[in-house]
Amino acid sequence: MNRKRDRLQIIRDVLLAIQTKGQKVRPTHILYRSNLSSDMLKQYIGDLLEKDFIIEETDKKDNKLYSLTSKGFNYIKDYESIKGFMESYGLD
Amino acid sequence: MLSYMSPQWFNGYDVVLELLFAVITIIVALFAYRTYKTTNLVYSKYLSLAFMFIGFSYIVQSVINFLILTNLNQSVCGFMKINSIAYFNTIAMYVHMIFFTVCLVLLAYMTFKIEKKVILFLLLALSFIVLFFGSNSLYMFYLLSSIYLMIVSLYFVKNYLKNRKFTTMMIAIAFLFLLFGSIHFLFSVNHQLFYVIGHLLEFVAYVLILINLIMVRKK
Repeated sequence: MNRKRDRLQIIRDVLLAIQTKGQKVRPTHILYRSNLSSDMLKQYIGDLLEKDFIIEETDKKDNKLYSLTSKGFNYIKDYESIKGFMESYGLD
Repeated sequence: MLSYMSPQWFNGYDVVLELLFAVITIIVALFAYRTYKTTNLVYSKYLSLAFMFIGFSYIVQSVINFLILTNLNQSVCGFMKINSIAYFNTIAMYVHMIFFTVCLVLLAYMTFKIEKKVILFLLLALSFIVLFFGSNSLYMFYLLSSIYLMIVSLYFVKNYLKNRKFTTMMIAIAFLFLLFGSIHFLFSVNHQLFYVIGHLLEFVAYVLILINLIMVRKK
């Protein structure tokens, strides 16, 4: 049985959705890959922009595009150790 | 500072152990801070601050015990124009107690998982009142530490029961060791052997905390 995803895991899934596609991705791609509702995704995108994990750009047709920052890449790389550390201190 | 309750053969060992505790706790503080910067979770910030304060408290304790051991405290007193060595030792003892108490209050506050700064302020204020106005500050300090460590240990034991992993178990055991160490220090005010046992229990606790950090970093 799948456990409910926690916040850290969802953040990783959203970042992975952006990373796997390549450089810049549209919100629909993230929505499809991260398995979130559009409202939830909006919240997470807002959080990730605020934390400088991702950057938002617009293309010629005024579509929103997202790409990872170095901080976002670092999060994916360090996710397991951060999760393990937070788990061990009951912070998750 | 605290050497008067340490057996003579243990002098020097305590200085090294306290320095080791400081290094371990500051490493954990830095990692917790990195976690906070990555996740923005406020509890990581409290954990980082708590471990930083505990690290500072051990640095103070270690340096002062070293100064007493080498009789350099007399020179420091002269340099700082402090008339009495006892006065200097008392100031140092209070600095150590304040840092350590702030750490425990932050850890206890973190376990409540509520964001009400007034509760943090209340805990700090009450703890300092007990420390500064209690009849025996050192005894009060270890009594307070034991109470806070009981709350914190219980939280980590519950965390282990909820999430049965080796890492959660290590942190729960580490804090139980710190609790037993603190209880031992309560008796060490009169018994030198308890001072040594207290340090050894702390040593086991911080080694477990360090092993836990190494394990999660390897993931």
